[in-house]
Amino acid sequence: MSNSTTDDSLITTEVQTDSNDGRAAPAAGTAVAARDLDVFYGDEQAIDDVTMEIPEKRVTALIGPSGCGKSTFLRCINRMNDMIEICRVEGDVEFGGKNVYDDDVDPVALRRKIGMVFQKPNPFPKSIRDNVAYGLKIQDFDGDVDARVEESLKGAALWDEVKDQLDSSGLELSGGQQQRLCIARAIAPDPEVILMDEPTSALDPVAASKIEDLIDDLAEEYTVIIVTHNMQQAARISDRTAVFLTGGELVEYDDTAKIFEDPEEQRVEDYITGKFG
Amino acid sequence: MPRENYRVRLDELREGVVAMGETVCARLDDAIEAAVTGDDELAQSVIETDHEVNETYLALEDECTELLALQQPVAGDLRLVTASFKIITDLERVADLATNVAAYGGPEGGVHDAVDVRDLGDGAREMVADAVAAYAARDPDACREIAASDDAFDERCREASEAVVRELLEADRARDAARDGPATTGGEALEASLDEVSQALLAVRDLERVADHAVNVAARTLYMIENDDELIY
Repeated sequence: MSNSTTDDSLITTEVQTDSNDGRAAPAAGTAVAARDLDVFYGDEQAIDDVTMEIPEKRVTALIGPSGCGKSTFLRCINRMNDMIEICRVEGDVEFGGKNVYDDDVDPVALRRKIGMVFQKPNPFPKSIRDNVAYGLKIQDFDGDVDARVEESLKGAALWDEVKDQLDSSGLELSGGQQQRLCIARAIAPDPEVILMDEPTSALDPVAASKIEDLIDDLAEEYTVIIVTHNMQQAARISDRTAVFLTGGELVEYDDTAKIFEDPEEQRVEDYITGKFG
Repeated sequence: MPRENYRVRLDELREGVVAMGETVCARLDDAIEAAVTGDDELAQSVIETDHEVNETYLALEDECTELLALQQPVAGDLRLVTASFKIITDLERVADLATNVAAYGGPEGGVHDAVDVRDLGDGAREMVADAVAAYAARDPDACREIAASDDAFDERCREASEAVVRELLEADRARDAARDGPATTGGEALEASLDEVSQALLAVRDLERVADHAVNVAARTLYMIENDDELIY
């Protein structure tokens, strides 16, 4: 798959298809960086002066109590908040060396590079094949669609379960399979970053554990940023954890082991040990 | 406060470990008394009630396991549970050593007087009590002081062992002197002396181990308080 992020890749609607994508290189750089980020819904501030760098090809978890702004922050990264009329964003979200809120950035091109998986599986009422190929078709992908569908389903650990029923409706799959189908759909356009907003909260423990295993595998190729209310899940699957507390404040951001073993901030300790929240 | 039941269980675990520590110190007191005086009844009491400490240990171990499995503690709570899990093992070993010490007194009237069992025993017992108090009070300075005092206690034990060895040598000389008398008298005296001396050496060794367990308790307590493993080795 391709993976060449340039300023142009965010501006143009063309899809980069070069095979030399550089993903084999060891993860070291920053995939996404927020600089002095403020987000408002009308007069209410949802994110308060957040600055953080998210490493590439790692799993970064965003945790915090309801209403702390973690999902708002996630949705800022691929400008999903653009769809909310009263939402106002100040500061920068840098991706590929460019502020994604620059006027010349095409949100559609951005979302091909930064895919998203939501809380509830939301496959289209189409075949399994078409669900995965959907993103490719709307961007006039001129490669081998079937090969990309297979590759994406394998990447989502679903291929073996559905390879003989690609023309069946995606809605016929179980909840866990539907969520993996959505992950296949998200990775088909060859993104660099996958945003996940509580991707297992609607799933039973077995289906959730498959997604967790998959997230671990995905981080070998993609940067994964996940919002979760399940702190044990954050502890299990993430490399870095950011703790947001009420008012959209990023209180602590560190290696996950550090956060869950010996956080610096008493407020973080109180939150993760269940003393409030 | 959310998770009220969970917090109560953590408090009860902490209180349970402290209570176990106090019980173990009391058993150690009795063991030292029995070793010094040769009070066989008291020694038997220490030995026969050791199962109570074992049962407390198993109950606290079960509680730690259940808290880990069902409550998934993190951060300071996790360190409390894991440190407590280790500390109760040390305390249970101290109680086992107390049964040894109690038995060294024997029915004939105390450990050989080459070793001041009262002095050494009180020193070891004080280290255990201080470590348990440091755990209860979450006192990192006390933890470091207990660890720092271990070298001095080891030195006292070494000196006590040397004194015992000197007694052994004197017994050897006594055996030589006894060669001039009836043969059976010299052999019986030697056997009795060797037995007393070996019991004294074992008492010193066990009290030194008690002090080591006190240092372990202090080390785990420091980890619990500050996430600092400098004393753990």
